[in-house]
Amino acid sequence: MSADRWHWRAIVAATVAIVALAASGLAAAQTPPAPGGGDGIHLGVASCAGDNCHGAVKRGEFSSVEQNEYLIWSLKDKHSRAFKVLSTEPALRIARNLGLPGGKRAAETAQICLDCHADNVPESRRGPRFQLADGVGCEACHGGAVGWLGIHISGAPHRANLAAGLYPTEQPLARAERCLSCHVGEGNKFATHRIMGAGHPPIGFELDTYTAIQPAHYHVTAAYIARKGRPNDMQIWAVGQAVDLKKRMDLLIDPNNAPKGATPELALFDCQACHHAMSQLQWRARAATGLGPGQLRLYDANLVMLRVIAARVAPDAAEALATHMLALHQASAAPVPDYWAGVQREAAAVRKAAETLIPALEKHEFDQGDARALAQALIAVGVGGADLDYSAAQQQYMALQSVVAAMNLLSFADVAQINALNDALGGIGKTLADDQAYRPEIFVAALRQFEAKLPR
Amino acid sequence: MLGAITIRVSRALAAAAGAVLLAAASPALAQGQSQGQSQSQPVTGIHLGVATCAGDNCHGAKQRPKGSAVLGNEYIIWGSRDRHRNAYRVLTEQRSIRMARALGYKDAEHEPRCLACHADYVPESQRGAQFQLSDGVGCEACHGGASGWLGIHISGASHDANIAAGLYPTDRPLARAEKCLGCHYGDKTRFVDHLLIGAGHPRLPFELDTFTAAQPAHFVVDPAYIARKGRVTDLQVWAVGEAVALIKRMDTVLDPKRARSGLLPEFVLFECQSCHHNYDSLHAPRPTATGLGPGTIKFNDANAVMLRLAASRVAPDAAKALSAHMMALHKATTDDWAGVEREATAVRKIAAALVPLLTKYEFTADDMRALSGGAIAVGTGPDNWQSSHAEQVTMTLEAIVTSLRSAGIVGNAQADSMIAVLTQYKDVANEASYRPEPFVKALRALQPGLGK
Repeated sequence: MSADRWHWRAIVAATVAIVALAASGLAAAQTPPAPGGGDGIHLGVASCAGDNCHGAVKRGEFSSVEQNEYLIWSLKDKHSRAFKVLSTEPALRIARNLGLPGGKRAAETAQICLDCHADNVPESRRGPRFQLADGVGCEACHGGAVGWLGIHISGAPHRANLAAGLYPTEQPLARAERCLSCHVGEGNKFATHRIMGAGHPPIGFELDTYTAIQPAHYHVTAAYIARKGRPNDMQIWAVGQAVDLKKRMDLLIDPNNAPKGATPELALFDCQACHHAMSQLQWRARAATGLGPGQLRLYDANLVMLRVIAARVAPDAAEALATHMLALHQASAAPVPDYWAGVQREAAAVRKAAETLIPALEKHEFDQGDARALAQALIAVGVGGADLDYSAAQQQYMALQSVVAAMNLLSFADVAQINALNDALGGIGKTLADDQAYRPEIFVAALRQFEAKLPR
Repeated sequence: MLGAITIRVSRALAAAAGAVLLAAASPALAQGQSQGQSQSQPVTGIHLGVATCAGDNCHGAKQRPKGSAVLGNEYIIWGSRDRHRNAYRVLTEQRSIRMARALGYKDAEHEPRCLACHADYVPESQRGAQFQLSDGVGCEACHGGASGWLGIHISGASHDANIAAGLYPTDRPLARAEKCLGCHYGDKTRFVDHLLIGAGHPRLPFELDTFTAAQPAHFVVDPAYIARKGRVTDLQVWAVGEAVALIKRMDTVLDPKRARSGLLPEFVLFECQSCHHNYDSLHAPRPTATGLGPGTIKFNDANAVMLRLAASRVAPDAAKALSAHMMALHKATTDDWAGVEREATAVRKIAAALVPLLTKYEFTADDMRALSGGAIAVGTGPDNWQSSHAEQVTMTLEAIVTSLRSAGIVGNAQADSMIAVLTQYKDVANEASYRPEPFVKALRALQPGLGK
């Protein structure tokens, strides 16, 4: 290693020592590393961005990673702008609409915004170089580095880093929990319909697709596989759907989101059920909900996906999911005053079914047969007309992307086949570009074109 | 249209009809009961069918019969221009077939829920030999089954005698409001809820005076009319119509079967554009005088806003109380269902108490000016992104223009041109075609003609 690198490491080591001192002086209340932000001191993006560490223009000779992770994040990843966006005009308008105090700094100082637009750990866990303005920086996802930066720099194996507190983002469940804590929400970290109505954009998500388009700041190389194992996009997709559904059910059961006055928490419902032109008669019967026209339906696109997955991996669970979701939809429209107990009971049952599935999904080795069967089942959801809501079409599209990504990574198809599939995916994507212009027939036609490209 | 500024209440109202009217006017309204059913479909008379009225010496005449108190062409107007005649036929069209399928009905033309308003849907036992469901909303759907009064009616009995014998008093604002709104808003048994709307039923924009004219009316207010039925002004019809519409709306809120289901409120009670907008283009911020925060669905308060306007001239204290309770109702929709019911009860009571005052009140030229100013203020105000506000403002202004014309304050040509402008905004059912900005511009252009 170069002298420069040693020099840099010395600085970091010194910093770590200072921070550690400061921390021990501040409080013995430092919590052990744990998923969800209960981790150590966050040293700040600057601590990771050194040009010999994760801010390198060129990969170091012996590095197991690209080393340009900081550059990708800061140049291409929207997480790096998560805080800055809070001072833009749209954000200020949202803050005004919500009546947040603070004028031009209203959004940048409001906890409800900062909890997801920055690495909003308590003051006591912010190191000297930590800056809220870094937005969703390294440690927002990878955890506060104070406990592990030392060994991490010294080239410890991945396992040792994890043992010292690095957050295991490569593990599907851990990644899902981390991403979805903002991208669906949990507890008070939740973009309610009030926030949406104030101007916040809708939040679409699928774990595997969003990992890729972030864009990912890692490559699955031999070194990656040696250190972290081989990822499977289908598994990431599957676990993501289960966790997404679990979190949605948590939000539905949360007393904070119970109906108030005449109004339920509308963010838990399917956006396009309401947000469409009245001239556009769009209602279609769905056996999975049993709801009639004009009845607002709970967002259930994740559940539809999880059913497809479970039907392949754990058929009994698929049936339980279907039964309880139908009952949940029915309870959501049941006569007052019986409905709330029903909603809670069925949401808890759906949650349990999703949670029970997770270990099976984590264990399951999604293979070539699964890829083919899942792709066919996903296509069938649309082509068969079981669910052609825009929200479902979006999830079908992202799911197919994950399946194709897995086929590529696991060499289930040759390059020409993958390219043809990706072209067909592009065609599906086009039909979903604008939710108001979405037409199921056109989406179905694009699905059929994709189907024709699937390797036999 | 109805004309004249004075009202002459006929004292010769016979006891039977008087009882029906009074029942509608006070006790039932005040007690919070919907009586649309009993009002609109008297149980006694047999409905003889449109053919009974359509004779060319009766209401199917091409020329006014000599000495006739009416034009005699009422059937012809209805049969050629009034959409009520198509009410049944529309049930056999493609849109209805699709709706019926969505709702799980065998078809629309045999479905009681559809027939209740798309035909003169009286029980079999009340259908005469010439009665046909396929006549749609025919004569007796509004005027009542004729078996009891056709005899004296043909023999030239007085209007009061006809009413005493069972003719429905459509000339009287409250009775007309009850009859029309029984379908054009709905009641306990006939109600276009969001289930129907979601299946494809059109919205129901309505204002009593404008819809009377647009039907088109099959009467003219001439001396013979006034001698028989008295004078009723457009603004009385408008004001009473708004009050009864508001009462019926509150009846829905207070009806546990209709107000809520599960997590969801009955969405037709709310402003369509609250939800039906493209969230990419975020109409936000959507200003509102109600104090509601972002992301809330707004109760459709257009009738209340118009009634407040009428009351501001007739009973200012009631106008203030109405305002206060509506604000409280809006707020309660976001946090307190018991509060919703409490405030809806209060609003209903105020509206019911206003009905007799509005029925009697003689709107003056000053009132007309003030009302037009008030309506324009609503139309140019913060809540004008709502099509319901735009619709009610437009139709209110049309009633005012008609009154100004009747009072000789505005000439025919000017009134026609103002109504032509307003007509463009009467039905903004498709929000894609409605933009507040041009509407505001049109209102501002009308303002000078309306006398400020």
